[in-house]
Amino acid sequence: MPATPAWLASVEALLNRSIGQSMRATAAARRLNNTSLQIDIEGVYALRATVSAERLALMADAESEANAVISGSPWALIELLTGGVKSAGGANAEGRPSTQIRGDAEIANRYRELFALARPDFEEELSRWTGDVPARRLSQFARAAFSWLRDGARTARENIAEYLQEESRDLVNRAELEEFLLGVDQSREMADRIEIRLARLERQIKGTA
Amino acid sequence: MTDSDRKVDFGFEKVAPKEKAARVRAVFTSVAGRYDLMNDLMSFGAHRLWKRFALSLTGLRPGQSALDVAGGTGDLTLGLLRQVGREGRVILSDINPSMLEVGRDRLLDSGFAGNVECIVADAERLPFADNSFDCVTIGFGLRNVTDKAAALASMYRVLKSGGQLLVLEFSTPVAPGLKPLYDAYSFGVLPRLGRLVAHDAASYRYLAESIRTHPNQEALLEMLRSAGFGLARYHNLAGGIVALHRGYKI
Repeated sequence: MPATPAWLASVEALLNRSIGQSMRATAAARRLNNTSLQIDIEGVYALRATVSAERLALMADAESEANAVISGSPWALIELLTGGVKSAGGANAEGRPSTQIRGDAEIANRYRELFALARPDFEEELSRWTGDVPARRLSQFARAAFSWLRDGARTARENIAEYLQEESRDLVNRAELEEFLLGVDQSREMADRIEIRLARLERQIKGTA
Repeated sequence: MTDSDRKVDFGFEKVAPKEKAARVRAVFTSVAGRYDLMNDLMSFGAHRLWKRFALSLTGLRPGQSALDVAGGTGDLTLGLLRQVGREGRVILSDINPSMLEVGRDRLLDSGFAGNVECIVADAERLPFADNSFDCVTIGFGLRNVTDKAAALASMYRVLKSGGQLLVLEFSTPVAPGLKPLYDAYSFGVLPRLGRLVAHDAASYRYLAESIRTHPNQEALLEMLRSAGFGLARYHNLAGGIVALHRGYKI
């Protein structure tokens, strides 16, 4: 069995601390005793989550078969496992589902619930090292910085989209696209109608001849 | 082969089990006074990070109990005491009274008394009732134990159901290119450092040799499984120079 990376052990310790502090998470872990979930992060890593004695263990890929396997891109899995979305599914740009579940879907869903309930309170974790007041200040600063970055990224995205759609005209905007597609649909319907009329006219000409 | 014919490793030498116990005791009696200083010098302080990492994985909560086997000067014991709080209980055990004396003084100097006991005990025959502790740790001690399988079985016995064993120990470097550097350091620099600081080069030569004869990561993992530990796994630290093995009594 390969070595389990130290960072994974730290994540596990963090999650177990959260499970221990929440009655709902403890109950969720109890329901998952002696089960395992394989998480395949496509192209990045595969890991095994196991619950035993109400304690979560995260390991490098294990030899035995897991009760359920969940695979997907890193972001799709993070969203799914932390409760960002309620179930697997959705589709990526190529039309494939962004996450896939094999095996016992009920167990996979319970693990999703457990991960969502065990989401660590980072302010609380930080306060263990720095004390309450600095932890509060630092987390406020982090939240503000994160919010600023998120807003900045959104504004930049909107500005670039607007430039490409309105100034350089390399892309069409959604309204124009929808209007174009509507026009295509209407043209197709008209063509179909004309085709039927022509066919009827043809039959009439053949009848009179 | 009779028991009296059995030989065990003492560094690169093969000696009788009883002789190993006596010689290990002599090594640690010799270095007890300078043990902490030497640890800092030899590892450039990294042993503190390795121990902190081990402590971060105990999962102990206030009020629980822990045993630090071969705990020597009490580095891990101090961390365990902070985790279990005043209502919890920690036992520091070591086979060597000189090391334990240093550990006991250090705990008292750090303000811990009442919920901690220091006990001279052989890791192979721990003098505690079955199912006594929520967590058992052994930091840089297992390679000095004569019968490692017996020690693991003994630690398994004293753990409560669901309790965890953490074994922090030197291991086999796995990072590319690290092994020759590590060998040069441990056989060239360590004995000299031992002679300069602890006035005992032989003990530190034994330290380097005993690391080479200690089971590697996979072998120790198998030993944990054989002793009955579930969810057994290991984490390499500093490119495998040190490994933390852990397993649960399930």
